[in-house]
Amino acid sequence: MELSLSLAFRAALQRELKLAWRRRGDLLHPFAFTLLVATLFAIGVGAEITLLQRASGAVAFLCVLLALFLSVDGLFRPDRDDGQLDHLLISPVPLPLLLSARLLAYWLVHGIGLTLASPLLAMLLRLPADQLPVLMLALTTATIGMSAIGLIGAALTVPLKRGGILLALIVLPLYVPLLIFGCGTVAAQANGEPIAAALYLTAALSAFLATLAPFVAAIALRLGMD
Amino acid sequence: MHPLRRQRLIAIVALLLGLGIATFFTLAALNENLDHFYSPTDVLEGKVDDGKRFRLGGVVLEDSTERSGETLEVTFVVTDRLKNTPVRFNGILPDLYKEGQSIIATGSLDDGVFTATQVLAKHDENYMPVEVQEALDKARATAEANGTVVEGTQ
Amino acid sequence: MQKFWIWLTRFASPPVFYRVAGLWRPWLGLATLLFGVPALIYGLFFAPADYLQGESYRIIYLHVPAAWVSMLAYVAMATAGAAALIWHTKLSELAVVSIAPLGAGFTALTLLTGMLWGRPTWGAYWVWDARLTSELVLLFLYLGVIGLASAYGDARRGARAAALLSLVGLVNLPIIHYSVHWWNTLHQGSTVRIFGESSIDGSMLWALLASAMAAKFYFAWSLLGRLRLQLLAAESEKAWVAKALNLEPADA
Repeated sequence: MELSLSLAFRAALQRELKLAWRRRGDLLHPFAFTLLVATLFAIGVGAEITLLQRASGAVAFLCVLLALFLSVDGLFRPDRDDGQLDHLLISPVPLPLLLSARLLAYWLVHGIGLTLASPLLAMLLRLPADQLPVLMLALTTATIGMSAIGLIGAALTVPLKRGGILLALIVLPLYVPLLIFGCGTVAAQANGEPIAAALYLTAALSAFLATLAPFVAAIALRLGMD
Repeated sequence: MHPLRRQRLIAIVALLLGLGIATFFTLAALNENLDHFYSPTDVLEGKVDDGKRFRLGGVVLEDSTERSGETLEVTFVVTDRLKNTPVRFNGILPDLYKEGQSIIATGSLDDGVFTATQVLAKHDENYMPVEVQEALDKARATAEANGTVVEGTQ
Repeated sequence: MQKFWIWLTRFASPPVFYRVAGLWRPWLGLATLLFGVPALIYGLFFAPADYLQGESYRIIYLHVPAAWVSMLAYVAMATAGAAALIWHTKLSELAVVSIAPLGAGFTALTLLTGMLWGRPTWGAYWVWDARLTSELVLLFLYLGVIGLASAYGDARRGARAAALLSLVGLVNLPIIHYSVHWWNTLHQGSTVRIFGESSIDGSMLWALLASAMAAKFYFAWSLLGRLRLQLLAAESEKAWVAKALNLEPADA
């Protein structure tokens, strides 16, 4: 029987989204986490508005980055624990295809989810109103690349008992360029410069990472499981 | 087509498409002018609105720096050797700030006076950022074409 | 070409490599001393002081060679990683695991000497200069590879995961480098370079190049030593190990 790849992709995507929807309450945790980090930052720095406001774009970006990182470990671990991952590996559908469906689902749920929640974060940090759309645009773009890096990191660490600090050591340094270009986009808006250059670089990097990540993650999963 | 070969073809097309998008955005980014700023001529021609933040680039006019005794406030004049813009800055100027040297200041316009929040100087005395040099050349060329008198030339 | 591959495959077999590496090591050690000792003595005590930076610039005889090796080692590690993933040779897997701590060590040395140089020059031990920042990220990449390799219970699997991560890192390294430069020029007009556009005097240059060569020889010497030990450990049940140890008991 001819295997329909698009059907398989859609089925995998639907499964992920349905799972996320069933456990939609869990999505509040990363969101609450971003607000918590912002609160801790404001308390640590002191309530001086000018200082807070100048750092607000970068801090908001960083809060989302950290919250996104925390959900990376959940990309494969639950599936490994209940044996679903083995099914993924022996499936006749090419593994990179299934992984790209998972990447897309992860980005839609966590990346877009946190981006949509960022206005509240921006309000807490007193982000100037003209920077909010730019922040959301930068987050939407940069979270694609971050999700892709997370996919690779999660695939490399899934055979281990816990991802934990090692996962941070693997994933966070690779976030650096996305952080730089993403925050650079917001900073450009804050300085009254055109945001296009920084945003294009973020988009380029995200496209590059999202293209390669499913293939690299597939190799990583096979390495760890055979 | 054999299913496996078809899968491979799809994978390669997806790879090329993704990398193509990445290349496209990189080229688009490189096309953008990273060091965008306005010259005093642009300012006087009304290209920027009052209160909007922008970057002002040019040379610090000789003998224009005035420091107030008690506060950190400094005023000086930035010129593109054609038009001048007075600048007010409350803070510590970089060590490399010197009159006759090119700077880029970030801030906003307030009644014809540019209020800077950040002043960057370029480090070598002989070195002038290419963009500043270009802006100076352009300003001079238009002035000559219009037969305007050039103010503040060395 | 065919001959080369046959030679390479034979060379990659543990007993042959163990023996050949053992033959090369003394020469590499000798070369390290031959290049390193005169270069460091001359550089640290006799080379003319820099007209701008005075005596503190002398640390470049350690800093620059270490920086070059730290980057070269990453490329070497990723190359070994690619070989490990393509051919599944034990030697290349062990090479990844052996290079990572060495590379991390050279990166740490680069950072340390950079900081010592920064104190008199910038007035602070740490400045978020583009090169220092990329070097710091490089250290984190090394730590990730080391951590991943050792986290797996099965050493070979760990080495293969580390090999893949080193390749991912290699692809990202130029991007990180570019982005950090981009970030740095955005936030700061200028920085003094440890090894900037200013031309360096010929008398400084030869000592610098000699110390750079010494650093590379030291890297090779140390790597071969580590690889030999790792091979013995990994193949401890094989007959050649017992034979090799009986033949050269002093080396064990």
